[in-house]
Amino acid sequence: MKRMLYPKLAWLGIKRNKQVYIPFILTGIGMVVMYYIITFLESSDALYQMSGGRELQATLGFGVNVMAFFVVIFLFYTNSFLIRRRKKEFGLYNILGMGKWNLARVLVWEALLIYVISVGAGLLFGVLFSKLAELAAMNMIGRGPDYHFEVSADSVCRVLFLFAIVFGLILINNLRQIHVSKPVELLRSENVGEKPPKVKWILSLLGVLVLGAAYYLAVTIQSPFDAMIWFFVAVIMVIAATYMLFISGSVALCRLLSKNKRFYYKTNHFVSVSSMSYRMKRNGAGLASICILSTMVLVTLSSTACLYFGKEDGMRLRYPQDIVLKARTSDEDAAYAVQEMARKAAGDSNVRIETEVQWRYLDISAECRDNELLTEGVTLGFSFGTTSNRVGLYVVPIEDYNRLMGESETLEPDEVLVGVTKGCSWPYDTVHLQNMEEMHVKRVVEELPPNGEESAQVFKSIYLFVPDYERFVEFYHGAGQESAAVQEYSYYGFDLSCGDEKQRQIVGTIIERIGTSQIEDETFPKVWVESIAEERDGFYSMYGSLFFLGILLGIVFVFATVLIIYYKQISEGYEDRAKFEIMQKVGMTEREIRKSVNSQVLTVFFLPLVAAGVHMTFAFPIIRKIMMLFNAVNVSLLIWTTVICFLTFGFFYIIVYRITSRAYLKLVSKS
Amino acid sequence: MPILEVQNVRKVYTTRFGAHQVEALKDVSFSVEKEEYVAIMGESGSGKTTLLNILAALDKPTGGSVLLDGRDITTVRESEIASFRRDRLGFVFQDFNLLDTFSVRDNIYLPLVLAGGKLKEMEDRIRPISKRLGIAELLDKYPYELSGGQKQRTAVARALITNPRIVLADEPTGALDSKATDELLRLFSQINADGQTILMVTHSVKAASHAGRVLFIKDGEVYHQLYRGNLTNEALYQRISDTLTAIAANGEEV
Repeated sequence: MKRMLYPKLAWLGIKRNKQVYIPFILTGIGMVVMYYIITFLESSDALYQMSGGRELQATLGFGVNVMAFFVVIFLFYTNSFLIRRRKKEFGLYNILGMGKWNLARVLVWEALLIYVISVGAGLLFGVLFSKLAELAAMNMIGRGPDYHFEVSADSVCRVLFLFAIVFGLILINNLRQIHVSKPVELLRSENVGEKPPKVKWILSLLGVLVLGAAYYLAVTIQSPFDAMIWFFVAVIMVIAATYMLFISGSVALCRLLSKNKRFYYKTNHFVSVSSMSYRMKRNGAGLASICILSTMVLVTLSSTACLYFGKEDGMRLRYPQDIVLKARTSDEDAAYAVQEMARKAAGDSNVRIETEVQWRYLDISAECRDNELLTEGVTLGFSFGTTSNRVGLYVVPIEDYNRLMGESETLEPDEVLVGVTKGCSWPYDTVHLQNMEEMHVKRVVEELPPNGEESAQVFKSIYLFVPDYERFVEFYHGAGQESAAVQEYSYYGFDLSCGDEKQRQIVGTIIERIGTSQIEDETFPKVWVESIAEERDGFYSMYGSLFFLGILLGIVFVFATVLIIYYKQISEGYEDRAKFEIMQKVGMTEREIRKSVNSQVLTVFFLPLVAAGVHMTFAFPIIRKIMMLFNAVNVSLLIWTTVICFLTFGFFYIIVYRITSRAYLKLVSKS
Repeated sequence: MPILEVQNVRKVYTTRFGAHQVEALKDVSFSVEKEEYVAIMGESGSGKTTLLNILAALDKPTGGSVLLDGRDITTVRESEIASFRRDRLGFVFQDFNLLDTFSVRDNIYLPLVLAGGKLKEMEDRIRPISKRLGIAELLDKYPYELSGGQKQRTAVARALITNPRIVLADEPTGALDSKATDELLRLFSQINADGQTILMVTHSVKAASHAGRVLFIKDGEVYHQLYRGNLTNEALYQRISDTLTAIAANGEEV
């Protein structure tokens, strides 16, 4: 009998506080489900054995750690609400004669019960949903389904282990809190008069400045390379500014409003403005967290969705033609021999060649300082010391440009056409290549030759279309230019009138014949062969797995958002109840109270969503730049995925609002 | 015509499943004249609070009527009740019921702002009231900075600022120490002398001894009443004590 006392007390404690415990346990279950699914997919044999599956698993391997991190954060956060609610109860037990040691035993039993319930139910649902997730993942990376069902013992162990640690830590934290506090303190609750929030003007101002700077950064950044580097700086600035503004900026705003007497002493504003500042003081941090989480959900989902749905476009940028041969030569005959070889290989398989594209270029690694292009000592490729000045420089004969674009542009000997990629511009009248004479820019052109390699670069490229190409070839072959990284290419790309399978065959033939020729003839140039058919699987699975991970993380973030919102509403309901009773006695009608509650709750609730929307809007330019690095240049697609993600998220948000505000109103009007 | 007329008010509470009925007020009738200061006394459970809630239109009687200025407040429509209460009644509670989120000034303004008053008018009204109650220097402080007596005087200011027909006070000295109690009772007498009608519910003999008339409620009925006449506070105090003793003794005999 006595032995069952502690489990019984623990169980009663959970049951009596079910309003706060059920969401906590649900969170636990949700986290277990997500964690199990991710670890399951990460170690799934079925995924491993399919092409593209490995990329997905690598991405998920990263996701597992992110997940574990959030599991700890969320559960700790949720627990802080629980323990605050229960302190009074523990104080009562304490005064009734239970020692701290007995309380600790109750807490241990509680933690054990919650662990068993959440992990048990979580694993059950995890196992059920894991197959579904696996099928979804396979579908996303473009594979057929596999209806084999299994439970991963390894994943189960990992779940048991992680959650044992998390709940153990939470327990230790709770024990510590019980241990350090006195029974009277435990018993006495929040009934101590609250001081009006202090206005921190400097912090508010700082918040405005930092946010402004972050927005300015996001909007004005030009090149994707800068965008990639500065993105994280901007993110951290926005996070910091959001916290500052929500916590102190909002209080400052309320104070300013209440200073304006004509505005303040109006029936509609009076109660709202004064309670808002208290509300924001208590909830600023929570609301800022909601705002940041929402923004993260939106950015993750919209960008991965954009990648996923724009994958064919992205591939076409990287692989403009079905097959591309790049011969490393400036010799026309050698280039012609390579082209003939490809034509013959296609002809042998009875496949027609469509849309041939052929052009020559010099590929030079350079650094751009204003209108000067420095080539000395710039190494090929990308290393730690690479700066944002780094550019890819392509020198292309004007005849090739005219042929490709169907134009008939003529240039004087000292004139060039300039083209810049990644949405950057060329604001100068001249261009100066190191060790060469300055040239006049006749025109800046928008449309550029198809170049898959260029689209895969992080940094921008500058195209120079020049009148006497041979002079440049000779110049860079000449003495004194050894330190420049220059390569000359002849580009030959074409589409084929057949499916992927056949294309792979033809590519195989081409590669084989080139190999033979290179052995037979030492002067036969080096050739890079790229085939969209060969790359498609890898590409699809990469984008598919990114989107998949985006969805998983999105679900986790939505979980967190919902949770924070729920606890916020509940804890506010308890605090506001007494206040509205007074208002009613002083002569506020039920309807006025309801109206005031609604307007405050609405403001508090939708402020984070609106702020997330503003963050998204300002982040859009920088995200667009970063997306370019992934060959996603379709701006309207990005706009669409962003808008749709925002609306979907807003929809869920409103549903949560409806549910939780009902719980809130019930608490407030339960007098 | 009396300002407040309570006629045969009855209140029956039914437990949730209707099994038991509790009669909180049996049959209460009395009236309050203009500029009167009336105290209602009774032990806990005698129906004092129920009566006050009915007078404040916070609760509806099972039977009978309550006339304020000749108008039956039990028939005022639900939508009008709040503004009715706001415009004609002033409240002072035992636990002050000040809002922590408002400064003293804003707490006092509250009923006027809810009624949509003009800023100028509010400023004109608060000045004499705060001076009379001795809280003129505290207007920009917050409730957590005030003593109990100061809080209660703020609550009185809030009750008076609407120029109510009648001030209803529920155990106003219940949470105050003796010094603050004396101070508050002195203020109540002063306000009453200035022409304010006051109805106070209390079980403190001292508080009741400041009133002009004392009603005794027992088992849901008006059992007895005492007029001050020309008695001093001390003499009235003695009479009230005697009456209470008599009631208690009588109760035991029955």
